[in-house]
Amino acid sequence: MDVLVQLLINGIMLGSMYAIISVGLTLIFGIVRVVNFAHGEFLMVGMYAVYLLGAYWGLNPYVSAVPVIILLFALGSLVQRFIIQPLLGADEHIQIFATVGLSTALVNLALLVFGADLYSLTVPSARQAVSVGDYTMLTGQIFMLACAVILVAGLHFFMQTTALGRAIRATAQNRNAALLMGVRVDRIYVITFGLGAACVGLASALLMPLYPVTPTIGTYFVLTAFVVVVLGGMRSIYGAFVGAMIIGIVDSLSGYYIAPDLKEVVYFAIFILILIFKPTGLFGFGRGTE
Amino acid sequence: MKVVMKAAVAAGLALGASQAFAQETVKVGALYPFSGGLALLGDESFRGLELAIEERNAAGGLNGKKIELVKGDAVDPNQAVGEARRLTSVEKVPVIFGTYSSSLSLAASQVAELAGIPYFELGAISDPITERGFKYVCRTNPTSKDFANRMVDSIIEAVAPGLNADPKSLKIGIIHEDSLYGQTVSGFQQARAKEKSLNVVETLPYSAKSVDLTPVILRLKSAGADVVLQTSYQNDTVLFFRQMKDQGFKPKAVIGAGGGYSTRDTAQAVGTENIEGALNVDFPQYRTNPQAAPGIDEFVKKYQAKYGTAPRSGHSLTNYMGANVFLDAMAAAKDLKGDAIKEAVMKVDIPVGRTATGWGVKFNENCQNTRVSPFLMQWQGGELVTVFPAEAAVAKMKTGIGTN
Repeated sequence: MDVLVQLLINGIMLGSMYAIISVGLTLIFGIVRVVNFAHGEFLMVGMYAVYLLGAYWGLNPYVSAVPVIILLFALGSLVQRFIIQPLLGADEHIQIFATVGLSTALVNLALLVFGADLYSLTVPSARQAVSVGDYTMLTGQIFMLACAVILVAGLHFFMQTTALGRAIRATAQNRNAALLMGVRVDRIYVITFGLGAACVGLASALLMPLYPVTPTIGTYFVLTAFVVVVLGGMRSIYGAFVGAMIIGIVDSLSGYYIAPDLKEVVYFAIFILILIFKPTGLFGFGRGTE
Repeated sequence: MKVVMKAAVAAGLALGASQAFAQETVKVGALYPFSGGLALLGDESFRGLELAIEERNAAGGLNGKKIELVKGDAVDPNQAVGEARRLTSVEKVPVIFGTYSSSLSLAASQVAELAGIPYFELGAISDPITERGFKYVCRTNPTSKDFANRMVDSIIEAVAPGLNADPKSLKIGIIHEDSLYGQTVSGFQQARAKEKSLNVVETLPYSAKSVDLTPVILRLKSAGADVVLQTSYQNDTVLFFRQMKDQGFKPKAVIGAGGGYSTRDTAQAVGTENIEGALNVDFPQYRTNPQAAPGIDEFVKKYQAKYGTAPRSGHSLTNYMGANVFLDAMAAAKDLKGDAIKEAVMKVDIPVGRTATGWGVKFNENCQNTRVSPFLMQWQGGELVTVFPAEAAVAKMKTGIGTN
């Protein structure tokens, strides 16, 4: 029993980490409709930025979050404007190749600049163990959960109530109709891509105290993030959050009760089952919208 | 006309001179990954060979002939094959030294074998390299089986006495990353533990790309593991130590299989106070007793003088030791043909504790050195120091993990 509760706590903490990364991917993959294979590499860039700010200016990662979010927003917008946008009319495969190329280029750039060694920041405040009864969690994890909840609620509020949010939703529903209604679709895409990347900026600040950064760190998270986004129904921010929690908990439980090397098998099996019985994902918008 | 004649005479003289010069040198191949992802430790390995050859040239060369190194850059197995072909057929080297990485060695040594040219492996640990029945492939360094055996034997010979416990009463957890490296080493560990009738309570493979090892740690905790054997890379080592602390799991000993346990980066990322006491089985590092490894201090001095830094890992030392063994054999061979060199190599007989790594040398029928064993080291005060076997030790082994 004790172990089960601890596993659930760990699963939720893991889920909130996946949630922040996946929400960003939902915006890019679900709304801009670009399969962004460089998403993990954005995370890597963000983590190196947080590392540099911490190592050379002594900034706490949580303080670095602000400049890094802005940096990643800029990076995302530029990628959309100068790499994806010229290819919007082209075949989908071409866009995929573009993001795969970007991903490879960023990994090798990081190898060139930082080498294959790992870098880490020591942030004792984020690694404080908090005990509730027999169960432990880290302050950094609790902070991550809080940020995930605030991010999802905030984005939801933004999407529902602001003009820009409505324009984004309109573009996601039907690009041509939105265009006819006077929405500047290209600009919406640039902003949305930027927002998706900015979420990764937040994630990198939250992850840096917990994980060391290497050029390939992105690949550790990105496949799971894709699963979460599809599981959540592509365009639903709530869906991504719930999907992330499910994956986090399944990851934690199956790693313990089945085997640590089979946990991917378990959550991919669940993923396939959900796709068979509910092909549009848990919070999908029904057939025909994909 | 006169000018032409003069030029022809000059050219003839130059040709004669270069031929005379050529007779004074022996080319040897050096096949390592000099670029790409493996380059750092590939280059570190090469430095050991380079120092051994410079030392020999300074002492008069190989039976009076100057040794000339011809480098081959093996980035991946394909290129390793290509470069091995170039070395054997274009450069016509009589022997090749290499390779640091097992997959590169497995590929390149096939080319050398077909060409009948001895291939001297000084650093790759995969067992099959010398188990394929090849005639001209020889290896001085220990294999992954030696690593696994040393890890298991350390429980009996070092950890249990340190805890004043019966080795059979200790609960052992084996965890490993699930690629070929982890699978191979852990397979040998399980076999050895069974042979010594030790109590293995958990064997847990995990992906090296895992972002959460708490399930592994909770399994070990639930099973009450006293000793954990981990075969891992860098990231998963860091994650394991961090999460072990977070989850309050305190085994009596943790033993790593080199890899992620040997680098200073890992210690820094984990925090020296948290990695304190972690045991590690690996090639000899520099904090080894010079009594058991004669020449180790001189090697470090020479290295420092040539490269301007302290050795970056034990790879250079291991390659230096192996290169010396094979260069001695080449000097003793009646000519530099494959069979003569092989014959001389098989005659090498050096007792344990007489080389710079502390190993002895005696090749078995597979041309694998049998008098080798990796050492047991421990992180103490931010340094990796040798603690076992006793004659090579520079510090006493402690039990427990972490300083608090």
